[in-house]
Amino acid sequence: MSEHAAAHDEAHGEHGDHDIHPEPTSFLRKYVFSTDHKVIAKQFIWLGLIFMFIGGSMAMMIRWQLANPGEPFPILGKQIFSNSGGIVSPAAYTSLFTMHGTIMIFYAITPIMIGGFGNFCIPLMIGARDMVFPKLNAFSFWMMFVSTIILVISFFVPMGAAGAGWTTYPTLSTTMGTPGVGQTLWVVAIYCAGASTLMGAVNYITTVIVLRAPGMGYFQMPLTVWGLWLTAILNALFIPVLAAGMILLFLDRVVGTHFFLAGTMVKGGGDPILYQHLFWIFGHPEVYILILPGWGVVSDLLSFFSRKPAYGYKVTALAMSAVCVLSAVVYGHHMFTTGLSPLLGQGFMVLTMIISVPAEIFFLNWLHTLWKGKIRLTVPMLFALGLVFVFGLGGLTGLYLATISTDLYLHDTYFVVGHFHLTMAAAVFLGSFASIYFWFPKMFGRMTNPLLGKLHFWFSFIPINLIFCGMLYVGFGGMQRRLYDPSVYATFKHLLPVNQFISTSAYVLGFGSIFFSINFFYSMFYGAKAPQNPWEVTTLEWTNTTSPPPHHNYDVIPTVLRGAHEFGNPEFMKATGKDWLGQAEELPAAGAKAADKETAE
Amino acid sequence: MAAAITPPMTALQGYSRRKDTGPYVGMVIFLSAFGMCFAALFFSYSVVRTGAMSWPPAGTEPLPLGLPALNTLVLALSSWTFHRAYVAARRGQPVVAWLGVTFCLGALFMALQLVVWVSVYRSGLHPSSGIYGSVFYALTVFHALHVVSALVTILYLLPGALVGRYGAANHTAVRLSAMFWHFVDVIWVAMFLSVYVF
Repeated sequence: MSEHAAAHDEAHGEHGDHDIHPEPTSFLRKYVFSTDHKVIAKQFIWLGLIFMFIGGSMAMMIRWQLANPGEPFPILGKQIFSNSGGIVSPAAYTSLFTMHGTIMIFYAITPIMIGGFGNFCIPLMIGARDMVFPKLNAFSFWMMFVSTIILVISFFVPMGAAGAGWTTYPTLSTTMGTPGVGQTLWVVAIYCAGASTLMGAVNYITTVIVLRAPGMGYFQMPLTVWGLWLTAILNALFIPVLAAGMILLFLDRVVGTHFFLAGTMVKGGGDPILYQHLFWIFGHPEVYILILPGWGVVSDLLSFFSRKPAYGYKVTALAMSAVCVLSAVVYGHHMFTTGLSPLLGQGFMVLTMIISVPAEIFFLNWLHTLWKGKIRLTVPMLFALGLVFVFGLGGLTGLYLATISTDLYLHDTYFVVGHFHLTMAAAVFLGSFASIYFWFPKMFGRMTNPLLGKLHFWFSFIPINLIFCGMLYVGFGGMQRRLYDPSVYATFKHLLPVNQFISTSAYVLGFGSIFFSINFFYSMFYGAKAPQNPWEVTTLEWTNTTSPPPHHNYDVIPTVLRGAHEFGNPEFMKATGKDWLGQAEELPAAGAKAADKETAE
Repeated sequence: MAAAITPPMTALQGYSRRKDTGPYVGMVIFLSAFGMCFAALFFSYSVVRTGAMSWPPAGTEPLPLGLPALNTLVLALSSWTFHRAYVAARRGQPVVAWLGVTFCLGALFMALQLVVWVSVYRSGLHPSSGIYGSVFYALTVFHALHVVSALVTILYLLPGALVGRYGAANHTAVRLSAMFWHFVDVIWVAMFLSVYVF
């Protein structure tokens, strides 16, 4: 044993073992008010999946109205839309698309990808025993829970839930446009959700900075952690801007201030466009907040299941960072049609186009990772490949919206809806399920059923493309978003069959989620017991701890020796007889030197 | 064992060094986030102000200047006393007196601020009477809420300070609270200059 091993022991003797907190034994402390990041992660995922179901059901109702305008919604229509005899009324339709967007973004994607996998993956993948602030972590979840309660209450107040769209532009969102209490509750709920996200973000950033295991520099972190870390940084900086907007909107609605009410020139007045500035300063980073965890997970999964090192690992990490920096300075492209100065507009256009450069870089890195790999088409890999496809497609449609001349035509049409659904709904949807299928064995200690998983994939991937490409088509035909019944306009009448096709595809997508539900619940209780490392991958949570991990994650904090993507190195294949090498795995003495030389090259 | 795969000693030392910096790093990130929130509020203020023909709008009385100026001095003094408390904690000296003085200065700030609000409200400037009132009340009240939470952190520290819990080896709580206090003071200076003076 060398001085390394001695230092290893010393480090853990001093700083390791006394950190292990005793595992709580009472049911409440263990499963409900837990401060264990793994339990909080599961709580977030449960919350996210429930709201994904609610938000998804709302999407079905929206699609029903667009395909069968004025017909009663089948099965539960009479109960849900009792005032209008089962027909989705215009007011209900407005609330539906508002709440669909709100729920999917703030209450489904955010809890699953950021709250859930952020919590689960960050400490495990960097070799920590828990988050750096476990109580803040629990507080973050319960703040989100309070927020969801407020949101659910808003459905049952007079005049119903919020109806000003998920972007909530004034003057529609002031008391003049939406007088109901539901809109005010929406503002409060979003503020609380933001507070929850901010607490999580502070925790994630700090945890990555201070609790990385010995030897794990920033460029030994798995790309999943990179994605989640960059997400947290964007969250910490831009959620407060949304909070400021929500505070001002709340004051306008409740106290009667004039921030978003245009006034006379002499008396001075507020500015409805001010809200759009505040919203999109937050909102553009937000779209990257939603997809960055997915990018990170996919960058890792492509390497894991191609049995190849991630191509250009460092460049991918830096390109994702560059996207984060650029995302802060492009928000004006959401406002080309608001009377923005043409000079500013051109600046925003150019900056927006520049984002495609780092995005292309890591996209090509993904393809290079796949190239000549020994691809294993497991369920998580299928979902990861699906993300690569829909994100590429959605990213390309973004170019038409970034260009002012085409945006003037496409603005506020279904082309926009198709574009952002492909990039931040379809891609995040597939990324979420890639993560769920991949980490399920580590979370619950049981394997999922691959057949049901593959059925779920094909029932998701094919319809999701048909739906959103169909939306691009009707959008290019000029159909505006948020129309209650486009078929009453002569111009859009011929698009009704396309809308019906989109809706049918949407029902198939909804049907596909049944495979997931069966798989999820069945595997949780009756799935085959998962081995420690079923996917044969290299990161710490698979190589150095059991499935599921104990309360304190690691009996001994591992010392990291190399990056996260050591696959197919012929020298250590000779030394160990397998095609992968864990991040903290010591090579047998013979051959170690040669293998490391290979690694260094 | 091959020397090439031995992590350099600095990695292990670095690990044990950075493990304990969590609270400070977290506080810096929290303050950056609060800073962004205030920046967004100041940005909103600048947008409505540049859009107005005159500021304050015609027919609106200008805000009082004397009490807010005094308040600025009070907060500056309190920042100094809080810093003294932190230095005392690091040296292992009693902190309770410095914390007590800081708390009183903070409370004095809130009292004077209340006087300002009441007098402005009586002069007829209400939050709902126009954009000038909206900006004044929204910004100052939002800041005051942060002062109140900073006062609460002192209340949290005081019992420990009384029994002499804070010393050279245990001054993290005092330091974090001081960081927040200085942050709130800096925001106030920006607010005093942009809302009251110019």
